[in-house]
Amino acid sequence: MHISEGILPSKILISGYAITSLTLWYSLRQLNRQSNPSEGIPQAALLTAAFFVASGIHLPIPPASVHFVLNGLLGAVLGWYAFPAIFVGLLFQAVMFGHGGLTTLGINAVIMGIPALIAGFIFNLRNKTKLKLSENLSLNLFGFLSGAVGVGLATLLFFSLVITHLPSAWDQDTEKAAIYGLMLAHVPLIFIEGIFTAMVVNFLRRVKPEILIN
Amino acid sequence: MNFSFDEYANVNSPVHRWDVRAKIIGLLVLMFAFASVEDLRLVPVILTITVLFYSLSQLPLEFLLRRLTYPGFFLVGVVGLLPFLSGNTIIWQGGIITIRQEGCLAVLLIASRFLAIFTLGLVLLGTSSFLTLIKGLRSLGLSPILTDIMLISYRYLFELGHQFQKMQRATQLRGFQPRNISRRNLQIYAALTGSLLIRSYQQSQQVYKAMQLRGYGTPTQLRTPKKVTLDGYSAIALLLTLLIASSLIGFELFL
Repeated sequence: MHISEGILPSKILISGYAITSLTLWYSLRQLNRQSNPSEGIPQAALLTAAFFVASGIHLPIPPASVHFVLNGLLGAVLGWYAFPAIFVGLLFQAVMFGHGGLTTLGINAVIMGIPALIAGFIFNLRNKTKLKLSENLSLNLFGFLSGAVGVGLATLLFFSLVITHLPSAWDQDTEKAAIYGLMLAHVPLIFIEGIFTAMVVNFLRRVKPEILIN
Repeated sequence: MNFSFDEYANVNSPVHRWDVRAKIIGLLVLMFAFASVEDLRLVPVILTITVLFYSLSQLPLEFLLRRLTYPGFFLVGVVGLLPFLSGNTIIWQGGIITIRQEGCLAVLLIASRFLAIFTLGLVLLGTSSFLTLIKGLRSLGLSPILTDIMLISYRYLFELGHQFQKMQRATQLRGFQPRNISRRNLQIYAALTGSLLIRSYQQSQQVYKAMQLRGYGTPTQLRTPKKVTLDGYSAIALLLTLLIASSLIGFELFL
């Protein structure tokens, strides 16, 4: 779910970099307010590398295969570090595989990173909600929501940007229909990502719960 | 997993000799100028400039072709349907298949911009080592936190990739060969991902302790910042590149 070079006009690319710079600045400011900001850097860096590697898991959906996006999980585990981590991960993907690009790095970071921050916020709501849920159910529910919302929002942003900015002669109704159709086609994948995120956070809670306290 | 991209960073070419800070600014501005091209008359111009830069970089053609394959397929997936769906001017029709002029021109424009920007990106990344690029970005004002995350991630990317391959091989040796989605398969993938995250988390704690022992995170007395200088060759190359970029943007805006 990366926008390649050459597809979007430069004004969108520059706006993407502007939003990314602002979000990066805000995320780093939040991190600098911590008592020891340097402590989280190696953790964020290694988890960034781990997420980068884990996003290479291919899930067989005959006759093809898909890979996990994991931005919701990143938001849930890394909190404010999620945005810088996604920025770095996208830079590596652009540099190493040509997946995305240097001019589209800003807009791709917006597409993946803002939903990750929202997913992180949703995941942290489990501690604040007044619903009387068991710990296990609460973790599963908010894990699922953070995974599904992370990838769902990213999909919506991706298709909206690509379809509305392709130099095509489509009218507004056709563009809307295409976005709705493509979103509908991705609902099963959004659902699978949600379930997968819930399973991973459950695994982490059982084996290393401190990783979930960001 | 082969992640390396700077295998030709030690070649001695005019682009390799260009100061990394000036190269980052010049080539990025030129890439954005290419992205702003909407007039088809400029397509041959941007492709010629791209060929010129790639030739000057002395990177092998095979390096470009190898890198181009995957994103090229991805681009075809995004814009491949445009000639059949976009536009009103029909240039060929056979049965239910119709090829439209507007769609073909849109694909030509997008594919040319993609090729030009991608190749210039490769010139930028392939002519300096990763460490030199990060140093260049740092001296251009990139945040120290972001720089540290980049450097540490890059350092452990290969190691974690190798660990993950071993973990995957171990699951395969125990008979895990998924052919569809099931609850059990998803749980195994979740355990694999979770294990990798835990390993990296534990390793990060050891890395932090090792970094602390070497003085990381303690306030240091900063030396007087060095005056930013640029050699004549790099300055002229930067000016020429910015001139080309501004000419393209000017042509797009006013003609």
